[in-house]
Amino acid sequence: MKTWYKRPFPVLSALVIAAVVFAMVGEKVKAGGEGTITGTVKLNGTAPHMKGIDMSKDPVCSQQHQSKPATMENIMVGANGGIQNVVLYISDGLSAGAASAVPSEEPSFDQKGCMYTPHVMAVDVNQKFKVVTSDQTTHNIHPLPAAGTGNIGWNKSQPPGAPPIETDWKAQEIAIPVKCNIHPWMHGWHVVVKGPYAVTDENGNFTIKNVPAGSYTVTAWQEEYGTQTAKVTVAGGQAAKADFTFKAK
Amino acid sequence: MRMWAQSHLCQKQRMFSLLAAAFALAFLIIGTSQSASAIPAFARKYGLRCSACHESWPMLNFFGQKFKDNGYQLMNDRDAPIWQNPGYWPVTFRIIPIWHRVSTAQVATDQSATGEQKITQSGFDLSGLDFHTGGTLDKNISFYVLPSSDATASFHFETVMARLDNIGGSSWFNIKLGKFELDNLLSEKRILTLTGNGGVYQLYHFIPQGDGNIWGQMGDNQLGLEWLGHSANDRTRVSAALLSSNDGQVGLPYGAESYSGFFTASQAFDFGKLGVSRFGAYAMVGEAPTIWLTSGGVGIPGSGTGNKGFSREGFVGQIYFGEHADVTVVTQHGEDSAWFGQGYGDFVDNPVAGTNFLNGYGVTSLPAGSRNPTWNGVLVEPHYVISPQAIILARWETIRMSQQSTPGTASNLGNISTYTVGARFNPFMTPRAGFAYHAEYNWLHQDGTGVVPGTNINTSELLAGFDFDF
Amino acid sequence: MNSRLLRLTNAAVIVGFLALPALVQAQISEYQEKQWLDTPAATSHIGNLTGNAHAATEPYRRYCTVCHGELGDGNGESAYWFDTPLFFKPRDFTTAVFKCRSTPTGTLPTDEDIYDSIGRGLDRSNMPPWNTFSAQMRADLVAWIKHYSPRWQTEKPGEPIVIPPEPEVTAERIKAGQDVFNRVQCWKCHGVEGRGNGPSASTLQDDQGRPILPYNFAEGGRFKCGTSDADLYKIFMTGLDGTPMPSFSDNIKPEEAWDLVFFLRTLQPFHTKAKELAKGLNLKPINPNAPPPSQ
Repeated sequence: MKTWYKRPFPVLSALVIAAVVFAMVGEKVKAGGEGTITGTVKLNGTAPHMKGIDMSKDPVCSQQHQSKPATMENIMVGANGGIQNVVLYISDGLSAGAASAVPSEEPSFDQKGCMYTPHVMAVDVNQKFKVVTSDQTTHNIHPLPAAGTGNIGWNKSQPPGAPPIETDWKAQEIAIPVKCNIHPWMHGWHVVVKGPYAVTDENGNFTIKNVPAGSYTVTAWQEEYGTQTAKVTVAGGQAAKADFTFKAK
Repeated sequence: MRMWAQSHLCQKQRMFSLLAAAFALAFLIIGTSQSASAIPAFARKYGLRCSACHESWPMLNFFGQKFKDNGYQLMNDRDAPIWQNPGYWPVTFRIIPIWHRVSTAQVATDQSATGEQKITQSGFDLSGLDFHTGGTLDKNISFYVLPSSDATASFHFETVMARLDNIGGSSWFNIKLGKFELDNLLSEKRILTLTGNGGVYQLYHFIPQGDGNIWGQMGDNQLGLEWLGHSANDRTRVSAALLSSNDGQVGLPYGAESYSGFFTASQAFDFGKLGVSRFGAYAMVGEAPTIWLTSGGVGIPGSGTGNKGFSREGFVGQIYFGEHADVTVVTQHGEDSAWFGQGYGDFVDNPVAGTNFLNGYGVTSLPAGSRNPTWNGVLVEPHYVISPQAIILARWETIRMSQQSTPGTASNLGNISTYTVGARFNPFMTPRAGFAYHAEYNWLHQDGTGVVPGTNINTSELLAGFDFDF
Repeated sequence: MNSRLLRLTNAAVIVGFLALPALVQAQISEYQEKQWLDTPAATSHIGNLTGNAHAATEPYRRYCTVCHGELGDGNGESAYWFDTPLFFKPRDFTTAVFKCRSTPTGTLPTDEDIYDSIGRGLDRSNMPPWNTFSAQMRADLVAWIKHYSPRWQTEKPGEPIVIPPEPEVTAERIKAGQDVFNRVQCWKCHGVEGRGNGPSASTLQDDQGRPILPYNFAEGGRFKCGTSDADLYKIFMTGLDGTPMPSFSDNIKPEEAWDLVFFLRTLQPFHTKAKELAKGLNLKPINPNAPPPSQ
């Protein structure tokens, strides 16, 4: 079987053509400016009951939930049926340049009342983020990336008042479960994507910013319901619309 | 006509041999998919394959030796039976159905013109039955019971012992009490061969012709107390045992006060890519009675006095040449008191005064010129380990008298030479049961002990069978 | 004639018996997982020793496969029968996550770390100390273990943590150690007396979601990763990856770490200098309901 390096000319010419096309596309994006993708993620059906959490094993935790008992946060549905904590990201159509851009803001993943805030944190590959603690009890932060993804798990303690842990993820992974072994009810997610992303608010609304003009596949990920996709075309500087509906199980 | 009959017989014999080979072949090919075998009582407990502890079952490797030296413990804090499923009991059966063909020269017959002839027999057979049960009662407290049956299903206590290990947390203090195998670095109870003469180490049982000392058989399990000390990784091991001089016969006190000792020391060295090899020495020194009180001419058990000495000592080397090849060498120098040499002392086989022992009032001196019989022997056993599931082995043993008890006796009388070749193959290897397909050939030669005075004995045995352990 | 034929058949049968196992062995399928077997990562360096994965093929089959599996995934035929939390499940080499490391959490261990684990065994698991092996064979097995995970192809082992020389144990240090024990809340799992009965102890799970028990100091068994003070230092400063035990290196300073080591020693049922000093201290037991000490 012949291998590519034995046929340099076709390969080289293909590379040249690719480079030219890439330059043209890049030019076009620049000219059009960046748009947004907005929309809502809703639940079709009755919102499932979220179980309460018994934190009595650690009084430091339970004391913070005396007025309003803590519940699981797997499926958080707002008044109008919007689902919170759904991650929206562009799964197809991004140019290499746009996909590899890393946002400069540094999100925080807080441990507060022995819960993770936010429950779902989306970050870009190589985007720095902080794990902080607001609790007066020791937590251990234990992300568990799947084997072979390129992300490596770790397990660090954060006693009260401990400094933030600043780190990042090296590879796209949807999604990395995060847990605290000391407080087994604590679980959250790190969703590591490439390119622009958004997470829905309490009403299920989202806006993906800084999307170059182009046609894309947008994926919505919900920890219980999985993923849904939609085709979206963004015109330069414009807001494109994409709504998603998950069906209650 | 006679010719025809003979050749027909020949053909039949050949057919049997070929049939056996065909059987063997068939079984080999059927059971080839996986990998070896063990005392599954321990394999089941720990979920390890036989090959973890056995170079080839039942012969131990150094890891298995360490396990045994620690009192059947892996030393991972999960050795006490409290960690086992409550239904678990460490028991295993060993059965060995075989086919063999034994050919013995110099069998005395009335039909032979010379009074002796060669007899060849063949047939299917059973080679005994063992029930092993052994293990820990609690951390560092263990036991081993092995009622063993001969081919006629009569049982005897092969091994019955209790052990206390790592006393005071030290691997240098381990105690064994009961009837147990002597701390032979090359264990006869773990021999890889099954034939009548090849299934034992001649060196461990040698008795000069006419000698009455049956107590110096270091291959026989003995009654006593043993102390064993070893380093954590078992590279260094030393042991000393105090034994009753009764060849392990339970319930029959021989001498009033007769004890033997068995001592070993060895050190293993790491030779890099060649692996670990062990070198050591052993000595068995003891006394056994020659004089008994009698009643009606029959000896009274336990009344033995007139202790005479005996000794066996030698070197042991277990030398490895990488993963696949190794050789074990054992030497022996033995000496018995002249009293034994002249046939006194064997109370067991013939308790009649004056012949095998002294009745206390009769013989007071030996024939003039009687000397201590001495001899030297060597055993060389190379192995080729094809894989954890298959092994080819050979053995050469020879024992040469260096001094006969009675002057003028042929200097080579009783000398033994024996050769054994064999192969064992374990068609599967799981932590539940073991099964070895076994093939072996042994040839033994002894000088001067034939029926016709001055002639030699030649015996051979071909054996094929299944060694089941479950 | 008779005897010659017999001898011939004898010889034929013997040769047949001896040769057959060899033939059969050749049929046993070659080990399939060769992917990373010929890469530079499938070697190990321990002191002057160089381990070669190829040399470990037979030893791995002989000693290891039954638990760790032919594919190194911890799914050997016996693995199913080890019930957690009393027994640990066999290590899955394909993820290259190891408890006993001298390197920070989330990093690969050094070759020496794996080498030491093989010879030391892991207490309260089925892994015995394989200390009868030659050093070369253990080095070869380290190389073999490394051929199972692609991580060894792309990652370097972590930088071993620096352990300052062990100071003299003093009463003050033991007291300071208890403060550390209290501040970072070791007792949440290990219990206020180190009996492995902290409030979270019963809920602990390993990375595969299987129940797991915290170490009980009062029982006095060997630690997972060694018996020395330095081993204990390493355990809590690197964490036992794959288990709930996190790394405390961000929250315990090296000198405090020694204090904690000395305090932890007083929880064990051994007569040590630390224990003797602790008696004189009359340490107040930790009150789990007290508000946590401020930083």
